[in-house]
Amino acid sequence: VTGVIGTSPARARDAELLTGRGRFVADIDLPGQVWARIVRSPVAHARLIRVGVERARSHPGVVAVLTADDIPDLRVPIRLQFAATPEAGRALQPLLARHAVRYVGEPVAVVVASSPWVGEDAAELVELELDLLDAPADVVSAAAPGATLVHEELGSNVLNTIPVRYGDLEAAFAKAAVVVRRRLRIGRQTGAPLETRGLLADPDGAGGLTVWGAAKVKHFNREATAELLGVEPASLRLVEVDVGGGFGSRGELYPEDVLVPLLALRLGRPVKWVEDRAEHLVAANHARGQVHELELAADRDGRLLALRGTHWVDQGAYVRTQGILPAILPAHHLPGPYRWEAFAVTAHAVLTHRTPVGTYRGPGMTEAAFVRERLLDILAGELGLDPLELRRRNLVASREMPFVYDLGPESPPIAYESGNFPACFERLLDEAGYEGLVSERDRRRAAGEHVGIGVAATVELGAIGPFEEATVLAEADGTFVVRAGVASLGQGIETALAQIAADELGVDLDAVCVHHHDTREVTSGFGSFASRSTVVAGNAVAAACGAFRAEAAAALGSTADAVRIVGGLARAGDRELQLTALGEARGRFEQPHPSFSFGASLSMVSVDVETGLVTPLRHVVAHDVGRAVNPALVEGQLVGAAVQGIGGALLEELPFDEQGQPLAVSLADYRLPTLAETPAVQAVLIESSVPGNPLGLKGAGEAGMVGAPAAVANAVADALAERGGDIVELPLTPQRIDAILAERP
Amino acid sequence: VKAPPFAYARASSLDDALELLHEAGDDAKLLAGGQSLLPLLAYRVVRPSHLVDIDALDELTGIRPAAGDVSLGALTRHAELERAGLEGAARLLALAASHVGHLPIRNRGTLGGSLAHADPAAELPVAALALDAGVVLRSRGGERRIPVAEFFVGPFTTAIAPGEMITEVVLPADVREGRAAFKELAVRSGDFALAAAGVTARVNDGRAARVRIALGGVDATPVRAMRAEAVLEGRELSRDAIAEAAHVAASACDPVDDAVTSAAYRRRLVERLVRDALTCLGDEAAG
Repeated sequence: VTGVIGTSPARARDAELLTGRGRFVADIDLPGQVWARIVRSPVAHARLIRVGVERARSHPGVVAVLTADDIPDLRVPIRLQFAATPEAGRALQPLLARHAVRYVGEPVAVVVASSPWVGEDAAELVELELDLLDAPADVVSAAAPGATLVHEELGSNVLNTIPVRYGDLEAAFAKAAVVVRRRLRIGRQTGAPLETRGLLADPDGAGGLTVWGAAKVKHFNREATAELLGVEPASLRLVEVDVGGGFGSRGELYPEDVLVPLLALRLGRPVKWVEDRAEHLVAANHARGQVHELELAADRDGRLLALRGTHWVDQGAYVRTQGILPAILPAHHLPGPYRWEAFAVTAHAVLTHRTPVGTYRGPGMTEAAFVRERLLDILAGELGLDPLELRRRNLVASREMPFVYDLGPESPPIAYESGNFPACFERLLDEAGYEGLVSERDRRRAAGEHVGIGVAATVELGAIGPFEEATVLAEADGTFVVRAGVASLGQGIETALAQIAADELGVDLDAVCVHHHDTREVTSGFGSFASRSTVVAGNAVAAACGAFRAEAAAALGSTADAVRIVGGLARAGDRELQLTALGEARGRFEQPHPSFSFGASLSMVSVDVETGLVTPLRHVVAHDVGRAVNPALVEGQLVGAAVQGIGGALLEELPFDEQGQPLAVSLADYRLPTLAETPAVQAVLIESSVPGNPLGLKGAGEAGMVGAPAAVANAVADALAERGGDIVELPLTPQRIDAILAERP
Repeated sequence: VKAPPFAYARASSLDDALELLHEAGDDAKLLAGGQSLLPLLAYRVVRPSHLVDIDALDELTGIRPAAGDVSLGALTRHAELERAGLEGAARLLALAASHVGHLPIRNRGTLGGSLAHADPAAELPVAALALDAGVVLRSRGGERRIPVAEFFVGPFTTAIAPGEMITEVVLPADVREGRAAFKELAVRSGDFALAAAGVTARVNDGRAARVRIALGGVDATPVRAMRAEAVLEGRELSRDAIAEAAHVAASACDPVDDAVTSAAYRRRLVERLVRDALTCLGDEAAG
């Protein structure tokens, strides 16, 4: 056994990506290609009376102009059936707006032209006759009775109201010595991958197509696109090339993903579309925007009793592929890693005149962690209890594992299968050097600086099923091709799967080549999201490699354990076999329940109380990963996600004005953290025994994000404790901190 | 974010540039470092009929700190300002330049371009105002020089007439003396400032003279805080004097509320930034 699992070989594509030889969809060109330019609604809400295309059509270099009149009334479907409701099904997004426009950026027409420049020129010539209508200003007013309706036929902007309930709430509140209540808000944010979306669709002349630019969930997208286009799924080939980040938003099925292939089929020539940044910030999924009203009950000793609340999640103007998942998830993550007697949350999925939403790294978990962990610190303040001690008293203990919150027949249970939450929490504090940080904080405070430390304890849901399949095949040159239906978003999945295959086969890492990028070659798969690929596909790869060894053993009349694979041969005792004589071995891994893994974050910040500027000083994230296949890659995931979370805590917001116009339309206004805004981030990998899968893995791709905004917010609140500012809103921009402090001079 | 159509010409000399500019008419724009113009073109916020590219004109480069006035070519890059070894009050330009965007932006962006763009939150206009700079404008018809205080007319609007271009920025000879400090608050490193303060003064025997306080981000153009300057004239740069001047500067400026930033907040920033800048000036004098 080579033992390459647990080591950190470099990512397969590092050399190319770091030397500018990456190949992204924008880098691919085909002879005869033309460019699509989407004409988008300039207003948040209007009746669409007429789309005038004559001037655009006659513009030199324009090949075609497409409007809703030219296509059937096709809607982008919901991918996640468990997050679909009949109401959500009635608010699906059309490929092109037909009778109304409902958010700034909604596709209304497509211009196809000889170049992107000509396309943009001609797009300006498309005339939209609009009858302007009101657009409610925020999610709570949109939910109020009498609000202007986003979809008149639905009769309400509250798409669905989902109750989530556990335990005897009334009894638990009756025992409470202390109840803290707050209304908390999280601004709209988005994944903002540095590579925007893009597609190149090439018709094969026989009714089929190859589409480059796929990501995340290419097999679902192939099926859904084929259905919308009325072609056989097998005639559609979706291909991933290098992808510059996903974060949940990239790779979902959007109107453009259907429009571009549709145009290529109709025009009989390659059609290319590369989203620009201004488009991306209004067209790709937004996330996070939500308001929570929450009450927390505890006894006099700081024993947590119950949570009761309501939240309103801004779904945007249409329901997209993830259904009402953005509204449901925060409810399921509210209890977190703590023991509660009861909780009850009412989740409202609310339509607004904004860009539709989807999941963004750590969806629901991040928002729930923020509201819960803020309330815990507020409670600790009221009880005069150390925030760490409050958490220690309430974390689920390892002897209680597996720990289950049964939510009744309507909902899958929240089930923590393994882990030692208290030990992991202490590990975070030890690795961070908590006592030293407290001394530093106190020293700096004595010198007049406003320094604070905050922690958050969280649970990351990952490794979502239902299953994944993989194959392994020996090549004549002694190498192995491993196929799995995952997607590479830059996270290094090819490398992790190759490490698993190398160990299971007992060969060098170099001998394994992972193929995942082409739906013609890998015919099925669920894709990469919810921190699932390494766990679910990794175990499928291990199973395939096990099956391969078993086939070799059978052919050699030996046992799998006795088989050694060397130089294209399988050997057992004095018998040997050409591996190419064996067929493709298959493996499958079923994952009926997701994994939940413990994580904890600590942040130290300094707040300038005159300018409101928060400077992060330190950030530490610890996470139970089960087993780190490639520690460097896992650390990269934790650190990258933590930086993103710090951005979400302090900088990133997609604000809108009263008319529903977006105010962040470039990366000058949507403020991603740069190195200058990023503190030293330390990742602590905790390995533990995981019963749920043969490789002993847990998800980790989102863990760095989940607790980051909560820990930063708690640190800011700690820094401002003497000033008495109430930290209940993200992001904590200088303007927002100033406004909080101005209320309490 | 593709630019709208425009005609493009690369000037071979200053005279050629002026000729091209004249021929192109009122809707032409000069292209130098392109750090403001190209994003505006990409977002189609501006739609010039012609671009006259002057980026390679040697005649417009160079800092000439000979006797008399200090002359800075219009194509002086922000990075050159940072590295030019400007001394005395003139060092304000270097300090201000170091806050502009990021390194690649400072390598290309030009002094003339920043002044001509006239973003009310930009750093170099604030520094030019504090330094009593003169702006030399040339057209086919001749040359004129106007004080920077008359150069900025409104947001993104200047006194440059059609057919004219900035050829140099001239600082009075006495900027070689004195001290300078520049402070700003931007949400991220490299962002446009929410507010900025540039100060210069001479400090003799602990007393301040010829105090200049210029503010950015608080009005339609960069503004001088003259009442605050007057507070300090002839006084020691004591904590109290500095606090008083900062308070006066904040009370006298007139920012407006926008969608995310309140006027009251910007005024609080001005007080803080002026105080920090003056404290820095005083510390430098003491040290």
